[in-house]
Amino acid sequence: MTRRLTRMDKRFDSILEQTEQGTLKASSSNRALNKLASNKLAVLGLAFVTLMILSSVFAPWVTQYDPQKVDLRMMLKPPSTDHILGTDKIGRDVFARIIYGGRISILVGLGSALGAALIGVSIGAYTGYKGGWWDSVFLRVSEVFMSFPQIILVLMLVTILGQSLMNLIIIFTLTGWGSLYRLTRAQMLSLREEEYVQALRAFGLSTFTICFKHILPNALGPIMVNITLSTAMFILQEAGLSFLGLGVPLNIPTWGNILNVAQDLRILQNYWWVWLPSAVTISLFVLAINFVGDGLRDTTDPTMQG
Amino acid sequence: MFIYFIRRLLYLVPMLLGISFLIYLGLELTPGDVISYLLPPEAIADLKPEELMAMREALGLNDPFLLRYLRWLGGILQGDFGYSLASGVPISKLVLDRIPATLELSVAALVFSTIFGVILGSISALKRGSLLDNSLTVFGMIGVSIPEFIFGLVALVIFALNLEWLPVGKRLMPGYDSYWDHMPHLVMPAMVLGLIMTAGVMRYTRSSMLDSLNKEFIRTARSKGVPEWRVNFVHGLRVALIPVVVLIGFRLPMLIGGTVIIEQVFQWPGVGDLFVNAVRGQNYPLVMMISFLSVTAVLFASFLIDLLTALLDPRVKLE
Repeated sequence: MTRRLTRMDKRFDSILEQTEQGTLKASSSNRALNKLASNKLAVLGLAFVTLMILSSVFAPWVTQYDPQKVDLRMMLKPPSTDHILGTDKIGRDVFARIIYGGRISILVGLGSALGAALIGVSIGAYTGYKGGWWDSVFLRVSEVFMSFPQIILVLMLVTILGQSLMNLIIIFTLTGWGSLYRLTRAQMLSLREEEYVQALRAFGLSTFTICFKHILPNALGPIMVNITLSTAMFILQEAGLSFLGLGVPLNIPTWGNILNVAQDLRILQNYWWVWLPSAVTISLFVLAINFVGDGLRDTTDPTMQG
Repeated sequence: MFIYFIRRLLYLVPMLLGISFLIYLGLELTPGDVISYLLPPEAIADLKPEELMAMREALGLNDPFLLRYLRWLGGILQGDFGYSLASGVPISKLVLDRIPATLELSVAALVFSTIFGVILGSISALKRGSLLDNSLTVFGMIGVSIPEFIFGLVALVIFALNLEWLPVGKRLMPGYDSYWDHMPHLVMPAMVLGLIMTAGVMRYTRSSMLDSLNKEFIRTARSKGVPEWRVNFVHGLRVALIPVVVLIGFRLPMLIGGTVIIEQVFQWPGVGDLFVNAVRGQNYPLVMMISFLSVTAVLFASFLIDLLTALLDPRVKLE
């Protein structure tokens, strides 16, 4: 009985042919990376994130304009060949501001996520493995932090510490460590019962070596996913705060600070190029990071198939 | 059940103590004399410096930190929240005046997002893998990636400034004060806030519904000859809704946080607006007290949600 060849059959045939000719190479790359590469949305997201990071790092080569230079003869000019995205209220080039603004916005997002990870992961890994008194203390402390609505805690800390770029990163770190701590702790609680840990303990290795060198690498997958998604969350929060005028000081261009002028209804209605490009940039960048995060989750979590 | 209730309630006490301690620490650390928010400003203006000193002693401001904290806590329990730095009005009055507006906005958003999220999520689960399901999933992803205030701004430009269907902001036009006059003003902020939350509810309903549709009791119902729509919506959705109720509980902090920015975009005169203006004006006591009240609200709401799930789901252990 013959049947029509399906796509899968053709694929097998070609693999068989290659094996017979001896041209088939063993796949040497990482399985997780391959899986990530086959997720189209994640690859697209990663490409966009890389593009944005590169263009903001090499901003002076991407645009000839200074994001801070005021040109009063060029106020609120619509997009043209000179200024691709037009100029803002005091004649600054909007495209240059978005490219340079990316530096600060991405720095705030990534810096805070890494800061939160450093605190959350190290506390979570150590106390999660050790258990006991310190574990319950930190668990309570994180509960206190996490019961605040995030933006209220952030704004409260802005009031106490004052408004600056460094303070904002510190504040985001302080408000964001809780979820990473919880995650790491939960991972440690399940991993510490594994047999290899008992073996290491029997060998007399120090607690520190066991939990940071031997257990933590096994918990890195979900932690990486969480760091990625936290970066997106902090970029959104920076935008929200700067929109209110309470985030990064207004003289530094960031994606949120560019949007700050949209509180003026006249600008909102008549001069779309001043605020819309930045709004689109933030949304696309965060969407791209979320795609990457979801892709990472699918590759690192064996229970999430499909 | 009663024991569970008491136990959960007792659990709130250490949390609230910890939070109130942090808030008091913040109050002490922020610049400004404590006395200025313990007394109405006009009372301070009439005092001589030495009287002020005597007053500090009498009020116990020179006492050890812990004692001051306990006294402050005692005041809170009796409803004494201190005075706003900017206007000298008691904070409790300022906040109470704003609560109806915020409640109106958040309840509207909650109802909107729950209805739409559950409907779209169930459709998505029933038509799993279809074009509709995939596009709803992508829309959900886009929904969580766009900041709420950008949604708000775009809605403002389209519906208020260009189409002029809805008012630009505020809760009431001067001269109109019946309850129904709020409605045109409420539509946009509530829809924007609701849309953001719909994405989350939708994703969650979808996975919860898929989970319950694979259960044995669904097969039993089908084999008994129950009509398909009844199987899906009466047997399936009912069980699927339990985790969704929990999710909506978890969304409450987000809802309270979300109103902060949305109220600014639409100049909605709620607690969030009061809060942001207090932060802008460095009105420390007001900032601290609103933070404290919002955490307390979140804690009590999650307590109620816990009780609700315990009542809804017989599988929840009550020990």
